[in-house]
Amino acid sequence: MNIDAPALEVHNLTASYNRKPVLWDIDFQLPQGQLIGIVGPNGSGKTTLLKNIMGLMEPDSGYVNLFGKKLNDIRERVSYVPQRESVDWDFPANVFEVVQMGRYRKNNLFKRMTARDREITTQSLEKVNMLEYAKRQISQLSGGQQQRVFIARSLAQQADLYLMDEPFVGVDAATEESILNLLTEMKKEGKTVIIVHHDLQTAYEYFDWIVLLNTRLVASGPKDEVFTSNLLQEAYGGRLTVLSRIGDLIAKKDFPIRESNFKEKEGQGDG
Amino acid sequence: MDKLLEFLSFQDPNVRTVTFGTIFLGMSAATVGTFAFLRKRSLVGDAVAHAILPGIAIAFMLFQTKNPFVLMSGALISGWIAMLLIEHLSKATKLKPDTAIGLVLSVFFGIGILLLTSIQHSGAGNQAGLDQFLFGKAASMTRSDLLAYGIVALILLMAVILFFKEFKVLSFNPDFAQASGLPVKRLQFILSTITVLAISIGIQSVGVVLMAALLITPAATARSWTESLLVMMVLAAIAGGLSGLVGSYISFAAPNMPTGPWIVMCLSFLALFSLFFAPKKGVVARIRQQQQNRKKILSENLLKTFYHLRENNPSSRTFSREELLEKRPFSDTEYNTALGRLRKQFYLIPEGHNWSLSEKGYEEAKRVVRLHRLWEMYLTERMRLKADHIHPNAETIEHIITPEIEEQLLRELDYPETDPHHSPIPYPRK
Amino acid sequence: MKKIILSALITMLVISCQNSSSSETGTDEEGKPQIVCTTGMLGDMVQHLMGDSAEVKVLMGPGVDPHLYKATQGDIRLLTDAQAIVYNGLHLEGKMGSIFDKLQKQKAVIAAGDMVSPGRLINSTSFAGAHDPHIWFDVSIWIEAMDGVSRELQKLYPDWKNYIQKNQMAYRQELEELHNFCISKIRSIPDSQRVMITAHDAFKYFGRAYNMEVRGLQGISTTAEYGLQDVTELVNYISSKKIKALFVESSVPKRSIEAVIEGCQGKEHPVQLGGELFSDAMGSAGTPEGTYTGMVRHNVNTIVNALR
Repeated sequence: MNIDAPALEVHNLTASYNRKPVLWDIDFQLPQGQLIGIVGPNGSGKTTLLKNIMGLMEPDSGYVNLFGKKLNDIRERVSYVPQRESVDWDFPANVFEVVQMGRYRKNNLFKRMTARDREITTQSLEKVNMLEYAKRQISQLSGGQQQRVFIARSLAQQADLYLMDEPFVGVDAATEESILNLLTEMKKEGKTVIIVHHDLQTAYEYFDWIVLLNTRLVASGPKDEVFTSNLLQEAYGGRLTVLSRIGDLIAKKDFPIRESNFKEKEGQGDG
Repeated sequence: MDKLLEFLSFQDPNVRTVTFGTIFLGMSAATVGTFAFLRKRSLVGDAVAHAILPGIAIAFMLFQTKNPFVLMSGALISGWIAMLLIEHLSKATKLKPDTAIGLVLSVFFGIGILLLTSIQHSGAGNQAGLDQFLFGKAASMTRSDLLAYGIVALILLMAVILFFKEFKVLSFNPDFAQASGLPVKRLQFILSTITVLAISIGIQSVGVVLMAALLITPAATARSWTESLLVMMVLAAIAGGLSGLVGSYISFAAPNMPTGPWIVMCLSFLALFSLFFAPKKGVVARIRQQQQNRKKILSENLLKTFYHLRENNPSSRTFSREELLEKRPFSDTEYNTALGRLRKQFYLIPEGHNWSLSEKGYEEAKRVVRLHRLWEMYLTERMRLKADHIHPNAETIEHIITPEIEEQLLRELDYPETDPHHSPIPYPRK
Repeated sequence: MKKIILSALITMLVISCQNSSSSETGTDEEGKPQIVCTTGMLGDMVQHLMGDSAEVKVLMGPGVDPHLYKATQGDIRLLTDAQAIVYNGLHLEGKMGSIFDKLQKQKAVIAAGDMVSPGRLINSTSFAGAHDPHIWFDVSIWIEAMDGVSRELQKLYPDWKNYIQKNQMAYRQELEELHNFCISKIRSIPDSQRVMITAHDAFKYFGRAYNMEVRGLQGISTTAEYGLQDVTELVNYISSKKIKALFVESSVPKRSIEAVIEGCQGKEHPVQLGGELFSDAMGSAGTPEGTYTGMVRHNVNTIVNALR
């Protein structure tokens, strides 16, 4: 379906992880101002998709537009929350310092943090109910608290589009509630939040729009349209065997996924 | 003593040069080493230290000079190539990262030794000096060396001050830094360059073989004394500088003592000291904490014993040692430890040869018993354990439950009146 | 393609076998016996003794430190192919020790140090039971060594006994002249300045024979470590005795001496660099310093000019 002014547009994206393609020709658009969940079984390429969108990985082919522009032209409107376990929390820093990292930008490379930066950091901490822990060492936080710190850091970036990688994994009920309340707030403010989610059951509850992913796009649309038994079966019913074997071959033989002269053009594909 | 005073007076020009030199080198290496340590690149630092050897040899062979800047440039190039190779070898081939590191280290080092030995055999024997690169040549430092190191150390310091917050986020969460639009590749380039620089000058002090120690040990030592990155870096720099000072002193005070290895000895001593005596994380602190825990457990158990005795004989308040030991078998030492602690806290009142609980003591005893019984409720209701399985578990956990968790328990269980064995749960007096 | 590679390999194998068969006899193309010496000084001595009748090869060229020298594969090949080996002994060639013991069983291995009466050797203070190996700096001891080596060579080549003896006499005369030259030249240095400071303790025999005090920064072997104390003590010694000059060596890194000079300057005593001495290796081949006598003369002249 075509959406007016999509927050995110992914066009024919094919991407690999360890030289094995985990995303094949992913193509979809996401609307602004909604809570969107990306779900799929383990190994379906969800995190790879997020990393490609955030420019942390290069796709083999295809492109991504955010608010109609390329990432580098619009970075100040986008914010990324990595997986909690992608970081060693035994790092010498306190909660406030980590959240303040959300205020580091290219244009204040050599400058010190300002009072405004500190103000925003404080407000972000308050929004996730972590302000009383501001001076606490991050190594002493529980999993849920760590997750909230990451989200606060993201809030401090004051973006319009938020991409979060599995923020609900391993958090306690209090944190879950806190995050959900926050998401409702953010939606009211017109923010767009895209969340890679690990759990199918809660996905229906949390999100307005769902993207079903299993190495290829199974479906993308409002949740009632997507949560049908056919589509769910297709997404979770196992890998496409033939596709999987082709993927293995490509990895083993170092085959290119696209011929080298092929340049992806924006607009209609041909032949 | 005389030797020490003579050393500290800094009247001797060689003492001045060597001591300041090793202090600068130690401080620079420790400062950049902090980031290498936090980014878990310690092994790469060791590989780079070994890999700068061929660079020095080739620079010497090409320019036939011992000018420190020329040699350092050679070292920089060689170190840089090694670093790039390590990074890309594991990406481009099937080699694992640690294999790439080991490979680059040994191949570069081997080539370096080969080149230096051939320089030695070629008759430029009064130039090269293989041993000096392997283990450092601090004792024969000259003023021009000192100037070179001072300049480099200054550059390092400026870079670290300028980019401190960027290096911090780079070390903690590089993905996030990149996603935020920070020029991560360029920042990594700067960090890597100053690391190779610090290594290139550091080997003048301790040599190629021991350089990794100068880079990493100060940071590892400092880590357990603080939770602030800035403080950690400063402490590491102090450790690095101090080792330079002490190493120089030992080389001064005793004959035939090379400076480099003694600097590393000093660092190792500091690290060992830290291992044992660091607050909270050190071995001694942890043993003390365990002892405190044991005392707490014993005294709380004794309190419970009093409570249980009172529960069974509502009219008695005072109990003898025999009665207490019969209710719960303490060993003599355990009994005395517990008793001593409870007395100090004014939880006990002596009555002749016997004891009774004070008002405070009684409330505290109630608290421990309450926690025990609440926990047993939690175990049966929430974790579905059978009533005959829960006692040993509760015996341990009752000592750990904090007031916060107690609050939570009470709310979750909705202020129960009895425990699974139908004993009443004692609540504090209002 | 495979056939070509195979035949190339076989050809290479055959060629290499050829080489070893001719040198198994220890002779070169002209049929002259090959004698391999470790230091240049020994090479010079043996060349004088054998004249044209032998091909003398030297392992350690100019500027090479014998204390640190590790034999390469090429060196091992030379040693195994040689008919006779002459080395200094007394642990000068510190890192080659076991090689000579092994080769002893196969061929004539002559240790120059063994030719000197033990009473004339200086005991090492740092290595108990070991001797200072720098015997070539007392020319009279070197003469005794040469006599011993000559005897051994005569035993090895009895046909050339007369020839070798003639050479021995001629060289002896040269060396005795050299010895006297040293004595008189050194005497011209005033007593207070008769101190020789070098990078390592190579000159103890020289000092004893020609009446000079000698001090080195490193010990008898350049493998010894030196520390800050050794540097500062030397600096204090030089400054307090107001010694005019010190010397670098061709085979030892200059860096340590440079630090000492700087230290003395800091103590307001401008000691000079008196020049480069040949300690454990001679000068380049073809120059006067590339012979034993030339080397000793050069050293003496340099020392005298700097300290007078």
